Amino acid sequence: METLIYISLALLLVLCVLAVMSKSLLKSAVYLAAASAMLGVILYLLGAVWAAVIEVSACSGLVTVIFISAISLSRMKKEDVQKTYSDKKQMKFLPYLLILCGILLIVTAISVKDFSISATAERISEDFRDIFWNTRQADIFGQIITILVGGIAVSVLFKDDSKK
Amino acid sequence: MEECEGYGDYNMEIFNFKTVMLMIGFLMIIAGCYCMIRTYHMLKIIIGIEVAMKAVTLFLILAGYVNGHIGLAQAYVVTAIVLEVVSAVVFAGVTIGLYKKYGNMDIRNLTKLKG
Repeated sequence: METLIYISLALLLVLCVLAVMSKSLLKSAVYLAAASAMLGVILYLLGAVWAAVIEVSACSGLVTVIFISAISLSRMKKEDVQKTYSDKKQMKFLPYLLILCGILLIVTAISVKDFSISATAERISEDFRDIFWNTRQADIFGQIITILVGGIAVSVLFKDDSKK
Repeated sequence: MEECEGYGDYNMEIFNFKTVMLMIGFLMIIAGCYCMIRTYHMLKIIIGIEVAMKAVTLFLILAGYVNGHIGLAQAYVVTAIVLEVVSAVVFAGVTIGLYKKYGNMDIRNLTKLKG
């Protein structure tokens, strides 16, 4: 299981960096969807099955569709995006920054003795559905309100176009 | 395994997958923040937010796995995913509205809005 987690973590980091660095917005959206799928695999392997299902269906499916529809509505060329927003030169620093931060983190992990997370507590047998519906009811109300506010916001944003 | 105690055993415990997961989460947050500050394109900024939110999801599940409360961590992750999706939808709507009004997706155009 650990080998699969290591492979998924490496792919997750590579896909996230590719999504950040890619010059094409469409490729960025596709890389982000693949990164969500990898995160779903990691969540499944760690035992969070429901979270993995929702991550893959919502983040990897719905958000990608929204991104691709927004990109297709914009109809900007790849070269124009780079020229308009002038972020081509700054992209070169990202891999070096990430490598530097990774080396710093490894040095910190070696030097600080209490950094290691080795003590795993006892597995408490708790069901996600019991906690979600009984213990965390405030979260459900918050989610409903958030979804309603998001729907109202989007409908207000597109209201003026329908009138014209 | 019981014979090799002390520093060697300590070294073996450092690089378990939980520590690696923590490091990769930090790197993803750095990548997301860098994506947010390096560009004025709104869709790219949303992609940076999404990358950072994936790291937050990873941290929540890691915390639940270490403590043994994976069910509670899943409840938090579901809430975080809902917030992530709604924020992505609203930002994408704002981006499309900005493109229809100004012809590009530059976030600096938001300062020109009135009313």
